[in-house]
Amino acid sequence: MGSERLDLPQGTLDLLILRTLAPGPLHGWAISERIQQVSREVLQVPQGSLYPALHRLERRGWISPQWGVSDNRRKAKYYALTRKGQKQLAAETHSWRKLIGAVGLILDMD
Amino acid sequence: MLDDLRYRLRAVFRRRAVERELDEELRFHLDHQRDKYLAGGMTPDEAARRVRLDFGTTDAIKEDCRDARGVRAVDEVIRNLRYARRSLAKRPGFTIVATLTLALGIGASSAVFSALNAVALRPLPFPDADQLLLISQYEPGAAHASNFVAPSRLEDWQRMTGAFQGLSGYYLDDMTETSGEFPERISRAWVAPRFFEVCGVAPSIGRAFTRDEERFGGPPAAMVSERFWKRRFGGEATMARRTLRLGERAVPIVGVMPATFAFPNSDVDVWSVSAPDAPYAQSRQSTWFTVIGRLRQNATTDQGLSDLARVQRNLGQQYPATDGKLAIRVTPLKAATVGGVTRSLWMLFAAVSLLLLVACTNIAALLLARNAERRHEIAIRYSLGASRASIVRQLLTEAIVLALVGSALGLGIAVGALQAFRSLGTGLPRMTEVRLDWTLVLYSLACGAVSVIVFGLLPSMRTARSHDVGTTRRTHTIATNRLQWTLVAIQVALSVTLLFGAALFVRSFDRLIRICPGFDATRVVTFRITGNWGETADMAALKHRILTTLESLRATPGVVAAATAVALPGVSFQFNTELRIVEAPTETSRKITARNRFVSSGYFDALAIPVLRGSPCSDDPPVQTAVINRAFESLYLSGHSAPGSHVQEIASGRNAVIVGVAGDAREQGLNEPPAPTIYWCASAPNPMPVFLVRTHADDPATMTETIRRAVHQIEPGRAVYEMRPLAERLEDTLAENRLRTVLLSSFALTAVSLAAVGLYGTLSYIVSIRRREIGVRIAMGALRRTTMVLFLKQGIAVTIAGCVAGLWLSAAAGRGLSGMLYGVTALDPSTFAMVIGIMIAVGALASIWPAARAARVDPIQVLREE
Repeated sequence: MGSERLDLPQGTLDLLILRTLAPGPLHGWAISERIQQVSREVLQVPQGSLYPALHRLERRGWISPQWGVSDNRRKAKYYALTRKGQKQLAAETHSWRKLIGAVGLILDMD
Repeated sequence: MLDDLRYRLRAVFRRRAVERELDEELRFHLDHQRDKYLAGGMTPDEAARRVRLDFGTTDAIKEDCRDARGVRAVDEVIRNLRYARRSLAKRPGFTIVATLTLALGIGASSAVFSALNAVALRPLPFPDADQLLLISQYEPGAAHASNFVAPSRLEDWQRMTGAFQGLSGYYLDDMTETSGEFPERISRAWVAPRFFEVCGVAPSIGRAFTRDEERFGGPPAAMVSERFWKRRFGGEATMARRTLRLGERAVPIVGVMPATFAFPNSDVDVWSVSAPDAPYAQSRQSTWFTVIGRLRQNATTDQGLSDLARVQRNLGQQYPATDGKLAIRVTPLKAATVGGVTRSLWMLFAAVSLLLLVACTNIAALLLARNAERRHEIAIRYSLGASRASIVRQLLTEAIVLALVGSALGLGIAVGALQAFRSLGTGLPRMTEVRLDWTLVLYSLACGAVSVIVFGLLPSMRTARSHDVGTTRRTHTIATNRLQWTLVAIQVALSVTLLFGAALFVRSFDRLIRICPGFDATRVVTFRITGNWGETADMAALKHRILTTLESLRATPGVVAAATAVALPGVSFQFNTELRIVEAPTETSRKITARNRFVSSGYFDALAIPVLRGSPCSDDPPVQTAVINRAFESLYLSGHSAPGSHVQEIASGRNAVIVGVAGDAREQGLNEPPAPTIYWCASAPNPMPVFLVRTHADDPATMTETIRRAVHQIEPGRAVYEMRPLAERLEDTLAENRLRTVLLSSFALTAVSLAAVGLYGTLSYIVSIRRREIGVRIAMGALRRTTMVLFLKQGIAVTIAGCVAGLWLSAAAGRGLSGMLYGVTALDPSTFAMVIGIMIAVGALASIWPAARAARVDPIQVLREE
């Protein structure tokens, strides 16, 4: 719990979830853990918004849920990226990078 | 999009499963998180606390998830429905009254709509039925002419027309089936070629006639109805060379027509070919077909008419003697079938719509009063942050639930009412087509939806506005009262209109059945005996047969008199003729037109029509004789001695000597004054005349079996059919009149009762909210009687206001009724006065009870309640 922690900018949670699911299906808890780990504890998923976000993505058909058994032998709801989700991920990644680049250009100007 | 829909549908319909999954998912997450903290070295208590801290309340998350699922609107609907159910159940009295009122309104409206739809709106049960026309010929200017068409002329039309896909024709005849105890009559239609093609209906089993079979001398063939097929052959699905025994001949049945095909009428069981190339069908004067034609695609009725008129003009040049004077008349087949009933049905539909409006207004007033009681509760909801829209939605949900239940019950009532409709409407066209179908269900639902708008929206919006004036409560109450009183006045006005219409019909119907028709229909039985047109080849034999039958009927115990006639007395029979009196000097003789009737000896005895001078028809006079009625005599024969004069029918040249003068009788229909009539004495005018038997029995129906046996003894091969008391037949001619009178009366009575309930309910409500004020008044010394009169006056004032509006509406509506009334005018002042009197009396009665309750208010108790 370092002081480095940042709040997620508006609208990025969906992108992060999609990206996290790109290698393979995960359940909700694992998604939040993974985001935290990979970001070296900088990004903290607000627990209250993770599940609404998952449900919203599911409704849009970008991820699809399936019930599986977790490491500790409990029934868990896994989410997998759908084909539509993959496309969405690609598109959002692209626009995100573009945004970062543009913001960088402005910050770096003299 | 599709995923989205599927997802939402699952979220709505598998709501519980989805919620359970969410629970499980969240619990899984929390457990994992706790495990993680435990592994990090926290105590279990600390871990649990941390988890809760991280996560917040699960309820909020769940709510957000539901939002994300996009089902919050559905959730609200479900919540509103639950709320509506609870609040309706809390006031069962209100709920029951409102639901029943609505059910009654919707039920009556749906039933009338279904009849209107079946009879007037739906096309006849033929494909592209609007292409079908009924075609007849007539002679312009001539009073008497056959409207039937000669076979050879029909074939000419078919050959020369440009606007019709095809023309065909039919006439009806009887067959007798002799397998049962008594012979059974079977109605047969003789059809011209192309009949089934023109109708556009194919047989359900087998095939229609081939071109060969439609030729004279071609292979014999018959088609039968599905009903007949089932009765005789058990309804097998294959033709298997079934035959029909017709006299000596066995005729193969080639096809079975589906049950929906009831043309020319629903009695017809057998169709046979009447070949136009038969030698006896060649004269252009032997006319027997009723002609139907199917227009070409996109051709209009007018084009059809002008096309046939052109064809007929050409024929007139070719055959000036027979065709020269003929003109063509066409009527859409539907109009010809349904006729004037349409107007009655539209009138009833308008009336029943008014009734539904009264019902809706009534419920609106009830809802308004009820919602006013909930002001407090609604104010609290506002203060808790509910939006106005959400409160309107909540109140509206209640109205929708009422409307749905009302529609469902109303549909049930409508189905029951259809039964009554069919039995009241015997004798009206297409009544068998009135039945429960999807249109009816949809119509009931639509009624429910419209009702919600009328009775739900207004009170909901009004009530939801109340928070604006929460502080000035009194203003609000007065505004609500004014609206409520307006609603009551509307109910009164509509009820007055309905009551006025109903009163006019009741009086008119009363006049109609009290008319002295000039003949006595009681104790008379009517029936027919099967015969066929082939018998006309030997008129002497035919006459002998009918006279023998009459003789044996007269010899039957219990029979007073027996006669035959071409048409029933009191039933419209369009047959005018032009005559001249042979003795009158030709230069002074005026044009004489009279109604033709053909009657046998005994006719005037059987109907108790007095013979004023001379003698009635006798059995076998040496020359053609005739009897005229008094109207004929006084109009055309003043100064002559009627008996002994000779008349000549101009069209046929037929002569007759007048033997007697009979009293005037309303032969043409009870609502038609007697016209000059000539009764040609003819025992056997056609092979199936109507038999009229006067009996000793007060209830002539008890004689039917005796008469049936008497006929069977001398005519074992012939069937007796259509046997019914004459009085009943006459009642049938009033079926349309009776139907609309009975229905309109019941609508009016319902509307008046609803208005009374509305007035009572509103006044009661007002008394209840003004209890405190009344208590104070009484405590200050107001007389109880004054208090009572105060409220009574209020009720009566609203009634009178409603009556004034109602009078104006009635005057407008009365104009639409003018053609349907007999013996009263559409603006009959005494009926107006009676209706207003009834309405004010009802208004006063409905007000007395609440007013008395106001007078009984106990000031001490009221003050203690405060």
